[in-house]
Amino acid sequence: MPVQAQEDPGWDFNTALLYYSEDNDRVEDISISLLAKRILVDDRSLSIGLTIDSLTGATPNGAIRQDVPQTFTRPSGNSVYTIPAGELPLDDTFLDTRVALTVGWEQPLGRLWKTSVGFSGSKEYDYLHLGVNGSISRDFNNRNTTLSAGLALSQDSWDPEGGTPIPFAPMLDVGDTSNKLGTEDKDVIDIVLGVTQVVSRRMIVQLNYSFSDNSGYLTDPFKFLSLVDGTTGDTVTRTPAPGAEGPSHEFRFENRPEERTKHSFYGQTKYYMNGKVLDASYRYMTDDWEIDSHTLDVKFRWPLGETSYLEPHFRFYTQTAADFYTISLVDGVALPAFASSDYRLGEFDAITAGLKFGWETGKGNKMSIRAELYQQDGTIPSSLLIGNQIGRETYPDLDAVIVQFSYRF
Amino acid sequence: MNKTRLGILAVTATVASGCTSMGVEPWERDILAKDEMQLTTDAIEAATDDHIYFSKEASSGGRGFGGGGCGCN
Repeated sequence: MPVQAQEDPGWDFNTALLYYSEDNDRVEDISISLLAKRILVDDRSLSIGLTIDSLTGATPNGAIRQDVPQTFTRPSGNSVYTIPAGELPLDDTFLDTRVALTVGWEQPLGRLWKTSVGFSGSKEYDYLHLGVNGSISRDFNNRNTTLSAGLALSQDSWDPEGGTPIPFAPMLDVGDTSNKLGTEDKDVIDIVLGVTQVVSRRMIVQLNYSFSDNSGYLTDPFKFLSLVDGTTGDTVTRTPAPGAEGPSHEFRFENRPEERTKHSFYGQTKYYMNGKVLDASYRYMTDDWEIDSHTLDVKFRWPLGETSYLEPHFRFYTQTAADFYTISLVDGVALPAFASSDYRLGEFDAITAGLKFGWETGKGNKMSIRAELYQQDGTIPSSLLIGNQIGRETYPDLDAVIVQFSYRF
Repeated sequence: MNKTRLGILAVTATVASGCTSMGVEPWERDILAKDEMQLTTDAIEAATDDHIYFSKEASSGGRGFGGGGCGCN
């Protein structure tokens, strides 16, 4: 049967406004997104996506709490900031605008094959991402089974103000940049293989396997560790050079491996029950940094009359720590090969609970608003705590609010 | 790469055996064609969530490419 030309229905616009806010004056993000899709003749389609994020707030810098105030040199190397005694050290220099663009082209090849190619790029003040992707899929069994394969390549680069720090280099006084290098790159290869299966009139299932190879600079240039006394666990003090401003204690920039390989297994199902729809998914991820994670995500769409619905959402996530995750480095002892105290590489559970309300306008356009709470609850193994750190150091738990308004026309 | 091979084998075996007996006839696709039955119902919402969790957790991808694209803190 020849592919038939279809009438051009014009552009379909999907827009959204997001407010994301963490407690204790940590990260706040206001983001607008636009996704425009145009279906052309012969089922070919072009989609263009644009997202602009405005980020502000503070983020844990990796150092541990102390019973005395701590002074840090800012990542730029241009000034210092001081954290009061007993408080979790947060770097409040976090201020950025991120612009992300995606372009995708989809087109059938004959009756059963479909291909897509795409480009993605994003720019922050000190970070650039460029990527290309492609995928191919084929329908089998009366279009009840679809096999797909995708490949994405990306190259990202860091260019922080003042340069990326030399791994494990000490934090130095303002104006001393001998601990910094220039820009650093990271390459990512992603492969996704999937099968989608129609099970019945009311049920569809998708299973994906993904492989991700990350190489290059995988360290966070803004994070460091406290260098501590092996008995007391307190951070070793330091005196800035005469007349100079600088750190009050010894800090070492973190160092992560330059390779990371991840494997993910993902399954999703949608099940229709008299107008209600259950959307459930599960993902298992494992990598060679010894991080294993499980993610369970459930949404339940409950219609309210003909044109509106309520959709509760629940997500549970748990991960083990990276094998080089630690709280501090011990003074006078040989450094480990790699170390990071980034809480995102630690052991934690996270829960998201939310509710979405969606409705259709008189003109048939779709609107929705969702509000969600995201909560991380982590643990630091007691084996990582030394002396006074016991009882003083706790995982920087996170509470965040997500509110998003969407309009499709 | 053993896990990769296992994954490919599992997918192929699933397709070859079970799938041919599952599914619907073309005229039984009324429910599956509904917007709310698509695997991704809201592309922006899915991308937003992927981005948030990529920034705050050590896992990414699964549904699609894990990628990257931000120097997230």
